[in-house]
Amino acid sequence: MEGSSVRKLVTAGALGAVSVVMAVTPLGFLPWFGGASLTIMHIPVIIAAVLEGPLAGTIVGLIFGVSSLMKAGIAPTSAFDPLFTNPLVSVLPRLFIGVAAWAVFRLFRGKFTPLASGVAGAVGGFTNTVLVLGMLGIAEGPRLASVTGLESGGIVPFLAGIAVSNGLIEAAAAAVLTAAVVTAWKGIAGGGKARLADEDK
Amino acid sequence: MKNLEFFRRVSIGQYLDADSPVHRLTPATKYLWLFALILPASMARSSLAIILVAAACLAAAKLARVHLRYLLRGFGPVLPLVLLTAVLQFVFGWRDDGSLVLADLGPISVTMREVLSVLGMAARFLAIMMALGLFTATTTEGDSARGIEDLMQPLARLGIPAHGLALAVAVAFRFIPIVAGELEAVVKAQAARGADFGAGRGGIVRKVRAYLPLVVPVTVRALERAEALAEAMDARCYRSKGRTRFVVTVGGRGEALLRLSAIVFGAGVMVLSGMLSW
Repeated sequence: MEGSSVRKLVTAGALGAVSVVMAVTPLGFLPWFGGASLTIMHIPVIIAAVLEGPLAGTIVGLIFGVSSLMKAGIAPTSAFDPLFTNPLVSVLPRLFIGVAAWAVFRLFRGKFTPLASGVAGAVGGFTNTVLVLGMLGIAEGPRLASVTGLESGGIVPFLAGIAVSNGLIEAAAAAVLTAAVVTAWKGIAGGGKARLADEDK
Repeated sequence: MKNLEFFRRVSIGQYLDADSPVHRLTPATKYLWLFALILPASMARSSLAIILVAAACLAAAKLARVHLRYLLRGFGPVLPLVLLTAVLQFVFGWRDDGSLVLADLGPISVTMREVLSVLGMAARFLAIMMALGLFTATTTEGDSARGIEDLMQPLARLGIPAHGLALAVAVAFRFIPIVAGELEAVVKAQAARGADFGAGRGGIVRKVRAYLPLVVPVTVRALERAEALAEAMDARCYRSKGRTRFVVTVGGRGEALLRLSAIVFGAGVMVLSGMLSW
């Protein structure tokens, strides 16, 4: 997957658009029991990192982070959204998803693509969950306590509980979806030619 | 699938065309003021400092001639949270609260400090909401991308790809309606085939698998379009070095002064917040 820098940047932009669309439509959320929903918005970040390297992954992560900041600020949908108006929670952790996923993908040295992208997806997804929850605890501890009604000592176990329950499931979801998209893309992009070339629109 | 027309519900800000002093600013200045308002609003501990930021946002909205009702239409969902905080504040109170007691209802008393901390919390949401809404209402998509490049110009000397980031952001803006349109088409196509993306039963693996026929085509189509665009740009010898611009966004001395005052304002509010105990 060698490519020019223009290609890296354009791909990053396109996947950034996918993550923005996921953030503002129901596509980004899988309905899960108890009214909680799992997010799959970080998957474009992981795909960008796997296909085009850490720079593209970081750019998509930045776009994803800023769009979640904007959504939390302009159109909050839950009691937790206001906490995401802090850039330390919504933007900063998202910059590392791509780097982590890319590093894991590189460990496989280009072999076993489906497995490698699956593992990269899981690690990227888990990175997102752990870093975001960690920053929530560090930067927004007092406000989190007032939202959840917990004592400040109960915050750490509460966040750790979410990290284990939601985090593992989100990591699994990210693994399945990343592996599916990357294999589908590598399967059809064999020649490296643009598929739209033979379309007449 | 209750609502297939996703894009109608997209509520991230829209550009409102108008001719106001705020609209005419260069994008880099708007970015600096956005940071100068949002960072203190989300990080300052002092209620008074946050209220000051909210007041500055209000003044900017007035200058930009953007309706407050438009900026604050997202405040509804936050209101219960503010009310809950207010109740908790009044019921439990602060330790060593020596401030003025405004109302005394037996076990529950309302003091100046409690009122201020509730107001501070509401002002925090209002300020962030107004600043973000105002920025998107007064800045076009092209300007947002150019502003990123202008703002990162100093960093570009250190080797950070400012132009690349601006290009990626511009592409993302351009692709959002396309991706949304394709998502809509794919959802309709899969729904016509009997797909169920609602809260059906089944374990997590089944749920994720139900989303595969949605996520894979949408992402792959976006990648294909990116490939075509990159090839077209390469074919036209697109290079990121030594480019000139059609739209010049440098700004004169007044802009420089405004940029400087954004930094002073942001830093000033943080210093003030550190000095105030409330």
